[in-house]
Amino acid sequence: MKILLAEDTKDLNKVLCAVLEHEGYDVDAAFDGEEALEFVNNDSYDCLIFDIMMPKKDGIEALKEVREKKIVTPVLMLTAKAEVDDRVAGLDAGADDYLTKPFAMKELLARVRALTRRKNEYEEGDVTYNDVTLKAQTFELSAKNSVRLSVKEFELMQLLMRNTGRRLTAEFILSNVWSREPDADPDTAWLYVSYLKRKLKAVAANVEITGDLETGFTLK
Amino acid sequence: MENNVSIYGEHKPELEKLLNSILLQVSEIREEMKSQLGIDPVEHCLGRIKSEDSMREKCVRKNLPVTTESALEKIYDAVGVRIVCAFVDDVFTIRDYIVNSGRYEVINEKDYINTAKPNGYRSYHMILRVGGKYHAEIQLRTISMDTWAALEHHLKYKKKIGARQKLIEEELKRCADELASTDLSMQTIRDMILEGDN
Repeated sequence: MKILLAEDTKDLNKVLCAVLEHEGYDVDAAFDGEEALEFVNNDSYDCLIFDIMMPKKDGIEALKEVREKKIVTPVLMLTAKAEVDDRVAGLDAGADDYLTKPFAMKELLARVRALTRRKNEYEEGDVTYNDVTLKAQTFELSAKNSVRLSVKEFELMQLLMRNTGRRLTAEFILSNVWSREPDADPDTAWLYVSYLKRKLKAVAANVEITGDLETGFTLK
Repeated sequence: MENNVSIYGEHKPELEKLLNSILLQVSEIREEMKSQLGIDPVEHCLGRIKSEDSMREKCVRKNLPVTTESALEKIYDAVGVRIVCAFVDDVFTIRDYIVNSGRYEVINEKDYINTAKPNGYRSYHMILRVGGKYHAEIQLRTISMDTWAALEHHLKYKKKIGARQKLIEEELKRCADELASTDLSMQTIRDMILEGDN
């Protein structure tokens, strides 16, 4: 699981990274709000941890921009003790949870687990985008017509539908859908995208997958 | 006995002529596509004149008088041809050949491939007319669509399904959608191979 940590205090950033990595998470570290947004735009995460007080762009601004991009990744805000209004503003701007500094590492880890668990549960539901529905129980892809997808096709379609309008690189696709198969290469991702393109056409869907191996693939 | 008189009256030779001309045309289309694809796109092709009994039964079922006029002009499948292809794209290529040949009036087309029937049935149906009088129904589909239709046909005549009716219908629909999905995957693989050849 991949986490983005945005925290401007260098020492705390370093400690949090070490603790999260020790727990087995992949962690990217950002030191201000702008850098955090760059990471979010270029990669996908399972959880975002944003400090509120950060230079260039504060955590709440960064969070608002994330949500404006329709990115639904769970967000945990870190706030100083006195910042009641900030906590409210953070939650209202789309944060899923907050943690008041100073906090125990144990509690941080528990909150991250809770947030990512919630996301996993959420992912078991059906997904719809435009006129396309993807049913999680049956792997049925439907619009005006319907087909049944294979497991990998389903996982890839779900990934694309959760990241509509964004460019997903072959590497990102492989790390999400073929995470347990190190032998899978970019051609595999390309072939499965080709399957889905044809199947979207066969159900007469109003959406399509564009792009190629070089640029990455986008569903819109 | 009345049954000694054909329901098709004196027209049976004309129907046979129509059937043979369609079958001949299909083999010409196959030859032409074979020269382009390097392989025959049609897995098999069957034609028949609807039997006397089935035609009479269909007239009754459709509340039509059991007459030659009904058999020729109200019911359109006195002549029937089923063309079964390996790949789904070939179904549409053959459909285009038939329409563009200009030999027939195409009076109806039903695309149950892009819009499957609610039970999952997939096939491309065309009704052709020649000489303003004789009709033929063409059914175009892939091997897996044909497999599904054959299986479904078997199960349709098993009456004692009872309480499991709904489950069976849902499962047949699922099988149809899975087969359709596999057809599309195979087509994608063929496209990839053909692309690699160029």
